[in-house]
Amino acid sequence: MATRDSLSGSDPSVRDRLRFARQSVGERLPTPGEGIVGYVFLLPAFLLFGIFLAFPIVYTFYLSFFRFEGVGDETLLWIDTGFFSYRLTSIADLSFVGLSNYTRMFSDTLFHQAMFNTTFILVVQVPLMVALALLFAVALDASFVKLRGVFRTVLALPVSANLVAYSTVFLLMMQDAGLINYVLTSVGLPAIPWLTSSFWSRMTIVGAVTWRWTGYNMIILLAGLQNVPKQLYEAAEIDGANRIEKFWYVTIPQLRPVLLFVFVTSTIGTFKLFSEPVIINGGGAPLDSTITIVQYIYQTAFIDFRLGYASALTYVLIAIVSVFSAIQLNIGGESDA
Amino acid sequence: MREETRREAVWQFLTYAFIILGAVVTLVPLYWIFVASTLKESEFLSSTDPTLVPGDSFLSNFAALRARDNVQFVGHVGEMTHYIDLGPIYIAYDFWNLWNMGAIESSIFVAGVYTILSLLLCSMAGFAFAKYEFRFKQPIFYAILATLILPIQLLVIPLFLLMSQIGLTNSYWAIILPWLANPLGIFLMRQNMRSIPDALLESARMDGATEFQLYYKIALPTMKSSLAALSIILFLFQWNLFLFPLVILDQGKYTIPVAINQLVGAQRVYYDQIMVAATLSIIPIFVLFLFLQKQFVSGILAGSVKE
Repeated sequence: MATRDSLSGSDPSVRDRLRFARQSVGERLPTPGEGIVGYVFLLPAFLLFGIFLAFPIVYTFYLSFFRFEGVGDETLLWIDTGFFSYRLTSIADLSFVGLSNYTRMFSDTLFHQAMFNTTFILVVQVPLMVALALLFAVALDASFVKLRGVFRTVLALPVSANLVAYSTVFLLMMQDAGLINYVLTSVGLPAIPWLTSSFWSRMTIVGAVTWRWTGYNMIILLAGLQNVPKQLYEAAEIDGANRIEKFWYVTIPQLRPVLLFVFVTSTIGTFKLFSEPVIINGGGAPLDSTITIVQYIYQTAFIDFRLGYASALTYVLIAIVSVFSAIQLNIGGESDA
Repeated sequence: MREETRREAVWQFLTYAFIILGAVVTLVPLYWIFVASTLKESEFLSSTDPTLVPGDSFLSNFAALRARDNVQFVGHVGEMTHYIDLGPIYIAYDFWNLWNMGAIESSIFVAGVYTILSLLLCSMAGFAFAKYEFRFKQPIFYAILATLILPIQLLVIPLFLLMSQIGLTNSYWAIILPWLANPLGIFLMRQNMRSIPDALLESARMDGATEFQLYYKIALPTMKSSLAALSIILFLFQWNLFLFPLVILDQGKYTIPVAINQLVGAQRVYYDQIMVAATLSIIPIFVLFLFLQKQFVSGILAGSVKE
């Protein structure tokens, strides 16, 4: 207390009054030591952020110009005080290869296949899911619907399902002798090779992902619908608009920012697809027709141990995802203005 | 007028039909997970005549799952390796080995510890950004903000090397530490904590509160609902992590996703056992979801507001 007073150099009551006076005109008088307090609160998060996030971001980029030869063994720092010794080794044994990890992608057919598969799933799945989520949101928003809360809960249930655990039931249902084919054949339709044809195995992934994430997007869209001014619908009604016209000319334009957000996050989610193809298609079967980018990165890095090339692939993926995220942040900013 | 009411009725019917169809399609896989876990494999994996009602094989499937030696899905009582021998009485003890955790316990433990520690770190950092002035505050904040756009769970290659270097492979810390300073968490906390009035903190300061007391006696209690929403985001993030645990954990430390992957990738796939595992990993979170629906929803919405 003594130091605080000597710092401000006057008696406390004067100082307090001065502080309130300054605050009332919107100026903040820094508390003694405040500059350090901020750092103290920030320090734990900042350290972990630096070691486990900032460093990996930079180091992945660095690695992408090298060939990985093995785990590092070169001594960088050696402290030996007799009873305590510490040896810091280099993180990896690397040899510089320039841009060849990046140029190699142009001739890597498996990478092209992974890009194609991911894009295929993206193009089919995202529009399908967003359309379904929008229709469910609008339907649940209709004033005449009873038991709205119950339906919302049921449709949102998959949100809580573990990504790997839920994939197993799709693996089971989509077997040749599984539940879906049983239903199809019992109504007279032909059985579908859900897991063994390259087209249908991708559609199985589409179905699984749609099941898992439609409710999630529906919740976001429902929240968006709450913000659409009711007067707009009333005005449209006065102009003689029917339901479908109101949907097209009021709901869709008003929801545009939320819809774009949902589109972009779903797109990013598809680029990160990993659990579903690994569990349902056991690592890209049949014939790599379901292998996704992340799965290919995983194989390259941790099965073939080509960490340099895998880092380059990671950076390509990060670039793609960042572009979409930047679009999304821009949209958020626009909708604010 | 009558034409209009009839149209209205048709419209309402179609809306209900659509919602109910959606609800059924949502529930069928969940029902099937549960039903399949109570049947023998031959009873549900049949293209001619699968049983659609629950049977009574859950416990025998569960026992078969527990008997597997490549995957420990549910924990068991640890072997007592230390004894105090007092003649007629002897006491077995080994406090670190009372319960050998299986995948379920591992997942709950890891996600729980991660959630608590991350809430602490994120709220402290958010408090610093919201309520203190310090040098380089803006650059540091924008650096953290910039990583929001990165898929942080994809930075596994350097993390793998780093964990090997510091000897944390096959440790729960390896899958807890990397995401503790969660950029989204820090950002959300900072946004919400800006609404705490400066005058409130200022008057508490004058009453002699330390800066840390301002944080845990004023900031944290007013942030209860944001903390609840954030804890759902963090818990589910860790609960669903698959890639890095798959890389870094060995047998005996598996979390649920890695353990299930092991069951699915085995030489002979036992669907009945897998469905028991899926039931056990999905049902508890469903129950949590039903009770904490509001928090789940606000968690989803908080994660979607990034502007």
